[in-house]
Amino acid sequence: MAGVNEGPTTGDDSTGAIAGESGVVVDGVGKTYDGDGNPVRALDDVSFGVDGGEFVCLVGPSGCGKTTLFRIIAGLTGATDGQVRLAGAPVTGPTTDMGVVFQEYHLFPWLTVEENVGYGLERSDRSEAERASRVDEMLELVGLSEFRESYPKSLSGGMKQRVAIARALAVDPELLLMDEPFGAVDAQTREMLQRELLDVWASTGKTVLFVTHDVAEAVTLADRIVVMAAEPGRVAEVVDVGVDRPRERGDPAFGEHVARVRELIGARP
Amino acid sequence: MATDTGSRFDGNELRIGLGLDDPRRLLRGAAGVVGFLVVWHLVSLTQPAYVLPSPAAVGDAFAEELASGTMTTALWSSVRHWIPGTIVGTGLGVAAGVAFSWNGLLDDVTAPLVRTLRPVPPLALIGFAIAWFGINDAGAAFIIAVGAFWINYYAAYEAVEGVSEDLLDVGRTLGVRGDLDMVRSIVLPASLPGILTGIRTGLGRCWMLVVASEIFGVPGVGREILRASNNLLVDTVIAYILVLSLMYLLVDVAFRAVQRRVLVWRA
Repeated sequence: MAGVNEGPTTGDDSTGAIAGESGVVVDGVGKTYDGDGNPVRALDDVSFGVDGGEFVCLVGPSGCGKTTLFRIIAGLTGATDGQVRLAGAPVTGPTTDMGVVFQEYHLFPWLTVEENVGYGLERSDRSEAERASRVDEMLELVGLSEFRESYPKSLSGGMKQRVAIARALAVDPELLLMDEPFGAVDAQTREMLQRELLDVWASTGKTVLFVTHDVAEAVTLADRIVVMAAEPGRVAEVVDVGVDRPRERGDPAFGEHVARVRELIGARP
Repeated sequence: MATDTGSRFDGNELRIGLGLDDPRRLLRGAAGVVGFLVVWHLVSLTQPAYVLPSPAAVGDAFAEELASGTMTTALWSSVRHWIPGTIVGTGLGVAAGVAFSWNGLLDDVTAPLVRTLRPVPPLALIGFAIAWFGINDAGAAFIIAVGAFWINYYAAYEAVEGVSEDLLDVGRTLGVRGDLDMVRSIVLPASLPGILTGIRTGLGRCWMLVVASEIFGVPGVGREILRASNNLLVDTVIAYILVLSLMYLLVDVAFRAVQRRVLVWRA
């Protein structure tokens, strides 16, 4: 089992920070796996940016390296080439400047809802009073104040994911990074969580990078959609979703965007 | 199926424990005990007492040992081996299991030693117990501690190995500060169910080891069993075996209660 990745999480000026850059920049990221002497190129020259306060979705067919890219951006896996910068500083490891939300929630089952939300805060330099009020605020934000003393086992999938979002946002990160966060819940819950996420985004003004394989979900949520292609994983195109929110699935413009993105995913080189 | 035959075939869950909360189970258990005593009694009629004494003779022997004070003295002596042996062995076993499983370097360094020492039965170490501690409580506690150590070492080692890498990733993204913080705040709680199962197994094994640990002359329940065996006092042997069973039962019920409290968060 690996130890903890210690040391500086985001670099300083001496390590190639770029002043004045906001949001996230994925700059020429490539990843090659060994594959038993038969190197596999999982990602090739992936470049795109997410501006501060923007909501970007990353979609692509399975096997296009979405999850690998997600892990590289989160600092959980190293890239073979290129770099990821957050607010101008290269990401060299996991950092509390990013709130990360995983598909399977990964709540700490031995902690109550409020303890889960407070986990990251306990490792910050906030006072106890500040931490407590921040936890209250986050529980309020995701509508789970009543369940603060419950353990995760007694929550539904949708509630667990709300806790995970609150936990990720509690430390007030620059970026909310989400990997298929609504992939494990039923369709009705998913739509509700999507609406709630947009509300949270509107009220917090966070930058959001949201990985999904669900094209309609991407069109519902994103300002822009980064469409990836497979073998090797790369950016096929970046699509602007110029549809006003709230977006309705019955709206012709919505359907056009879905069709356009589907076509890009299905397209072969 | 019309009647509950208790077969797993009927879809009954595997049930562990005394089931004191289920009157039907309690009744069945009582019937089992009574049936066993009846069979035992009948068989004992055909055998001399040094082969198989009757249940009543065992009861008499139990009462006699208790009345003379021998039993309580022996039990108190064994408890003085069991408690320190179990605590030290469990503590060191859990600590070593967690540390060696978490840290790859420690694991590599210790792996050959662990594999060499693991198959050594605690009884084979009696020579060391005598040489290092003497024929006394500490020597007996040492034998018990060795037994407790290995059970807890492997339980903790495997429990830590089984901690989800995803939870560690969550910790990393939430600003976990170094190995100690990671182990304390994620690895230990996540592996606690496995560690507690190991401790519980170890508690039982340590009562078994009480007999072995007193083989070289330290007074206690084990010593009384060995002495009675040598004199063919089988009824007394069984009376002291019952003492060990009762102690095990008592400790196990108490530990399970603690375990349930500590693991309230589990589904």
